[in-house]
Amino acid sequence: MSQENFLDMCPSLHQGNEICNIRAKIIGVGGAGVSLIDGLRFDNFDAVDNLAMDVDLRTLSDSLASEKLSFGRRHTRGMGTGGEYALARRAIEEEKDLLRKQLDGVDLVFLLAGLGGGTGGGVAPVVARIARESGALVFAFTPMPFSWEKSRHAQAEECLKDLRKHANAVVPLPNDSLLQMGGKDATALECFAEASRNVSRGISAICQLVFQKGMIDVDFVHLNRAFNHRAGRTLFGYGSGQGQDALREALRELMLCPMLHLPDVSKAADTLVIFINGGAGMGMSALNSIAEEIRKEFKAGENVVFGAHIDENMGDGVDITVLGATDLGPISGSADIAPSSGQEILQATTPVKSSHPSRLSSSKPKKTKTSKPPKQAKANKADPQALSQNTFDFMEDQNQRGIFDNLPDRNLYDGEDLDVPAYLRRGVKISV
Amino acid sequence: MSKIIGAVEIGTSHAKVLIGEVGENKRLSIVGMASRSNEGMRKGEIIDFRSVATCVHSAIEEAEKMSGTTIDSIYLAQTGTHLKGMVLRGSANVSSADRRVKPEDLQRAADEARRRQPPEGRSYVHHVRMPILLDGNPVEDPVGSIGQKVELIYWSIDGENKAIQKNLDVASSYSLDIDDLILSSVASSTLVAGPDLRRAGTLVIDLGAGVTDLALYRQGNLAYTGVISVGGDHVTGDLSMGLRILEPYAEELKLEYGKALPDEADSGEEVWIIGNKTIGDRKVTRKAITDIIHVRIVELFEIISKELGDLIDPNEMGGGVILTGGGSKLPGIEVVASKVLGVPVRKGVFPVGISPDIAHPENASVLGLLHYALEDHTLPGTPRKESSLLGKIGGLLGM
Repeated sequence: MSQENFLDMCPSLHQGNEICNIRAKIIGVGGAGVSLIDGLRFDNFDAVDNLAMDVDLRTLSDSLASEKLSFGRRHTRGMGTGGEYALARRAIEEEKDLLRKQLDGVDLVFLLAGLGGGTGGGVAPVVARIARESGALVFAFTPMPFSWEKSRHAQAEECLKDLRKHANAVVPLPNDSLLQMGGKDATALECFAEASRNVSRGISAICQLVFQKGMIDVDFVHLNRAFNHRAGRTLFGYGSGQGQDALREALRELMLCPMLHLPDVSKAADTLVIFINGGAGMGMSALNSIAEEIRKEFKAGENVVFGAHIDENMGDGVDITVLGATDLGPISGSADIAPSSGQEILQATTPVKSSHPSRLSSSKPKKTKTSKPPKQAKANKADPQALSQNTFDFMEDQNQRGIFDNLPDRNLYDGEDLDVPAYLRRGVKISV
Repeated sequence: MSKIIGAVEIGTSHAKVLIGEVGENKRLSIVGMASRSNEGMRKGEIIDFRSVATCVHSAIEEAEKMSGTTIDSIYLAQTGTHLKGMVLRGSANVSSADRRVKPEDLQRAADEARRRQPPEGRSYVHHVRMPILLDGNPVEDPVGSIGQKVELIYWSIDGENKAIQKNLDVASSYSLDIDDLILSSVASSTLVAGPDLRRAGTLVIDLGAGVTDLALYRQGNLAYTGVISVGGDHVTGDLSMGLRILEPYAEELKLEYGKALPDEADSGEEVWIIGNKTIGDRKVTRKAITDIIHVRIVELFEIISKELGDLIDPNEMGGGVILTGGGSKLPGIEVVASKVLGVPVRKGVFPVGISPDIAHPENASVLGLLHYALEDHTLPGTPRKESSLLGKIGGLLGM
């Protein structure tokens, strides 16, 4: 597992804490989630806590997390769940109050859970639900089992559906794609480390956005407004550049990021966070034009949150991170904590002109399940109304499978989705 | 007097129309043809009716204009994973006092075979007749022969009403009647696997854009039909995701540089994605292209092998495996197929006399429709009825 130092990635997070009184918590659930948390190593912050949760006492005692929550001893006697997620779910439901206490006063939750496991798959949706109920914004990063682990894969898909009902954004990290991440001759260990780096990159970008004073500043209110929906699908990617043309190089790398070219990843975003971190040489107009290009690439409307930070240590380097969501719907367990002035602030600091009528206003979160169908991401020429209706019905099932997008059913054969590229499922490394 | 027949295949990548003229000597000449790229389908099924209908209608119009005639009815190819084939049997005792078989006996046996209804929500698409048995012995035409019992066997394909209805609606919204619905794989086989090959035992694999159609012949008769929902579009989709490029570019790379079999020679070779050196263009290795295609093609034939199981028996497949359809143009695909299936595989060859303009593997099933239409598929002794199909699909159309 990676020993990536989170401090290196957001060097001024300490001082950032003083800017606002937002509290964030990174929660690792189950074996995979806890080991991801340990890979991040960020227990030196006041505003970002980390919590390891498991039924398996051994996992917890090995963990470096500052807070630990064991549960379900009555059900498992301190051992694992053996992949049985119903068991783990029963266990956490019985100890909800402990969890509530852990989530008290937390504004931002990063949930890390391997959905193929019993604990991760069973408990993550419950954690997301309770976190939402207590008013937090929940981002989940979830490793997904390999396609060839057929029954685990099917279970993970079920859990993913469930988790998407509660979390604001869920970024699945399919193990199938691990191989595509590392270098040419990367070992399995290096590939896992790369996956862990993806997660820390996502979390650090969001943390910097919220906690640090930036060149183009965004605060928690923006983030909350942008993600206060149930996101059917998400996109998450990054790119880095160096030298004279660093911004453009970073954009090029972003568009080639393997995380953006996975079957479960949306190609367009109804809401998009762009975060650019770079050295002092970054020019305002160059930043604006890059942000505009990114907005166009992801067909994002006016709901773009754009943050840029100067980091002297970056030299002539630039990092771009994007997190977007589409197929937005009302989220369960309400917590509309955005103040009414949010929209104005958003417009004032967002460099992107809002040329479209506000789309989000029509799908604002409602407490009932009978609220309006969500808006359709990509307007379809055929019959927009029928299609949007369709999308609503099938939203949970619908995933981007490239050319086979918009088909409600998975093309299952022997437990594998044949519409997912064969090279991904068969673990063939493609070098681009 | 000559007769005009129309053949329509609503394929996932293209809608194709052929108009044939059958002369008195039963010679077929193609007088009209059109092919239109189709956007409204995925994996052999219509997802955008209006777009498909417009596409098909404009293809028919073009073919009619070219031929200088109009068509009133068509033979329509059917595919899709919803189609399922099974054997239906029916028998009848010879009723006449002199024990000579009459056409009515055959009809009774046929009625009995087809009496078995498909499951709720499904209808028969195509009954392919197999040999007639007279007292257990296969005969071509038993009418007039002496015996006690005639038996008929059909390979019958049924499908979901909803999917079939959409196809019929495309035709009926252009005021066309349906002469017959014909399974795509059976149509293609008519063209690439002649009677000798079918007798020897042959598997025909039609690799389409949306789906792959299978038809296995043993001793001259159909022994299996199937549809696998993997086609050339999957190769394009894989390339698009693997090389991180837009689908139109992936499609072009596939056609230009695609190969089924990795080749040491091109490991270092790179090609441009767009090719006109515009901004954003970049190079990819040919190895990456081939690797992505290879793993998909291997998997496709592994699925075919799994689906057919014991039916792939080298002793019963003297005619080998024949590949046709657009996907069969992929260089090296027959080598990969042979390795996976363990039997000889070759690319299909069309009968002589088909104009080189249309003698392409992707036209196998639409051409096959015309050839199938020429063959007589009625029961011996019964006049060929033009509207025999109405009974079959009448329920669907609400007639």
